[in-house]
Amino acid sequence: MKILKLLLLLVVLGIAAATTVIYSGIVNVAADEPHSDLVYWLLEETRETSIKKAAEDIEVPDLVDPELLLSGGVDYNFMCASCHLKPGQKESDMSVGLYPAPPNLTISAESHEGHEHGDDAQKARKNFWVIKHGIKASGMPAWGKTHDDKRIWAMVAFINRLPTLTPEQYQIITAIE
Amino acid sequence: MKTNLIKTISKIALVLIPTLTLSMTASAHDPKLHAKKPEKADCSKMDHSKMDMKDPVAMAMMKKCMKQAEASSDKMDGKMDHSKMMDDKMDDKDMKKDMKKDEHDNH
Ligand code: HEC
Ligand SMILES: [Cu+2]
Repeated sequence: MKILKLLLLLVVLGIAAATTVIYSGIVNVAADEPHSDLVYWLLEETRETSIKKAAEDIEVPDLVDPELLLSGGVDYNFMCASCHLKPGQKESDMSVGLYPAPPNLTISAESHEGHEHGDDAQKARKNFWVIKHGIKASGMPAWGKTHDDKRIWAMVAFINRLPTLTPEQYQIITAIE
Repeated sequence: MKTNLIKTISKIALVLIPTLTLSMTASAHDPKLHAKKPEKADCSKMDHSKMDMKDPVAMAMMKKCMKQAEASSDKMDGKMDHSKMMDDKMDDKDMKKDMKKDEHDNH
């Protein structure tokens, strides 16, 4: 009985604490004020685990057809480069202003530390899922609502090769005929 | 109580996130970065000697530049279609000639 009362007290205290946090305005939601290390870690772990699990059963098609690079390249330049940059570009309004920041997709994933990216198939699966479904409470939109899987796979194929492209190659592949 | 809390939090998030994202685009400044005019592929920068023609990137570039050259030559002389001039019909004729020659040699 005593334990039950104690538990009840803890629950009430917890709710009270949460309410205070919400309504006191103590949480800073400004995008130019980074999370504390703990909050950042919590969010990142949650996101990585969630994406990995959600994407694990996706079948990766053949991604070497040059036609995919052309379709994916045009789409990427039009819809994604403002946030994820193009070869030779270091930053944009979006890449600087958004928080969490959009990763620079023109450098290879191996060159940024902090989390695992897995093998090629795993990477492709993960990228496909993120592009299709987006990421909640970040600037990353869900493109699957307006684009079919074929176009999304083309963007995955393009992103695969993006870190190897020179600005000149990028210009030719993404140009509109 | 708890579900209410969660609802409140999601409501706040639902309002805040689009607002933050949208206001970010509004603070754009350098007009050069935002000009999204359709650009033609700059194929003069292509260096064929450095290209591995089995690489999908190289093949994609060739495809794009060939299509573009075709489109612009179509504009210049509407009736001439260079892509059809190297048709195998020409090769066929040559082959037939060769074959006839062969027959000729046979007797
Ligand atoms: C408005 C900005 C914005 C646009 C436009 C945008 N993204 Fe993103 N994207 C983000 C942000 C922010 C993240 C990181 C989210 C996070 O860390 O929680 C992200 C994450 C990603 C990731 C995951 C990268 C990784 O290694 O975890 C991929 C892949 C991606 N975006 C691809 C795309 C593609 C393809 C497009 C265009 C169709 C696109 N994005 C358009 C903001 C954007
Ligand atoms: Cu990453």
